[in-house]
Amino acid sequence: MVIKVLGISGSPHRHGNTETLLDSFFDGAREAGADVEKIVLKDLEYVPCKGCNVCHKTGECIVRDDVIPLIDKILAADCLAVTSPIYSMGITAELKGLIDRAQYLWARKFILKTLYFSNDHIKRHKGLFISTAGLSWDNVFDAAFPAITAFFNGTGFEYYDNIIANNMDAFGGVKKHPTALKEAFEKGKTVVEVLEKMNTLA
Amino acid sequence: MVIKVLAFAGSPRRHGNSETLLDWVLASMGEDKDVSIEKIALTEANVNPCHGCNACEKLNKCVQRDGMGILHDKLIEADCIVLAAPIFCMGINAQTKSLIDRAQVFRSRKYVLRLPVVPEERKGKRLGIFLATAGQNWDHVFDAAKPSVKCFCHVIDIRDADISYLMVNNVDEKGAILAHPTAKQDAEKLGRGTIAELKKRLAA
Repeated sequence: MVIKVLGISGSPHRHGNTETLLDSFFDGAREAGADVEKIVLKDLEYVPCKGCNVCHKTGECIVRDDVIPLIDKILAADCLAVTSPIYSMGITAELKGLIDRAQYLWARKFILKTLYFSNDHIKRHKGLFISTAGLSWDNVFDAAFPAITAFFNGTGFEYYDNIIANNMDAFGGVKKHPTALKEAFEKGKTVVEVLEKMNTLA
Repeated sequence: MVIKVLAFAGSPRRHGNSETLLDWVLASMGEDKDVSIEKIALTEANVNPCHGCNACEKLNKCVQRDGMGILHDKLIEADCIVLAAPIFCMGINAQTKSLIDRAQVFRSRKYVLRLPVVPEERKGKRLGIFLATAGQNWDHVFDAAKPSVKCFCHVIDIRDADISYLMVNNVDEKGAILAHPTAKQDAEKLGRGTIAELKKRLAA
């Protein structure tokens, strides 16, 4: 079975540092034999969560826009790469907009109890967070992790790894970073190999 | 002396917990006749996310034409900025993050163009308040929101030490905050205290 890798590009800026890192991750995943697909959030039509809590009763979102088929696609992937540059010490509003909309999965899991991911399922679904930041601070990604963790929990993915590179402003972009692109390629290759091995053992 | 307060209700849900907390703060501030308050509900304000185009690094303004246009000036004119947001998925909700990211104009003004954001004499005389509510009862549920709030305040020349926080967890359903034992008193104390501090600083 071919491993399906889905990459969500959360940057409003096409082909910037974060998306370039995702492309390198895809190259590695392809080399290991995976099918890859990229979704660019800025090209989709969707609105942020309205906080209406209707999904707490129905398990469905009342807003029918591009988020619904995207969540279906996410749930069908084996490996999910969620990507965003760091803006103002957090993920972009586009990515946060998507993450907040997955509230209906949370409702299915914890209120309606109609959705459950077994430990085996979670182990076989690997999630990675890919990000870049202009600032050099070591803690620049810290405030992004909790929302990413929440998203992987909601969608049944193990939070497997991060591919993060800070100090982009000083490096003059990810292409001038000494290790980031290679790291992304290697991690793309490795995660697909790990998933393939799990499938052959099953 | 007129003290200008600019408040943002960041929640997509009108009159929910975070906005109620905000209203308590604003009502206590409004007891003072010198205070002029403007409240903006972000869900009705048409503020798009930042495009990340970096044009503001050259133009000193945003290329987008949306509800943010009037807010950039208001953010500078106010003596006190109050931001109220619910926590969704362990972070501030997307609508509030859009507002924060659109303050990139000020970051460009300050660090790229090296221009003043507020006049020298107003520095240290602006206060910020962050109000948040969360359904979860975890103590750390607000941790990831604070760095973005600090970033927002920093670029509009509100010092880190001049931001006050009132964050109430374990309030989920609409109206839950009404039953909270201390939230209302804490909000009123914060509102009055902030105005008293501002008067002191503006008189100095």
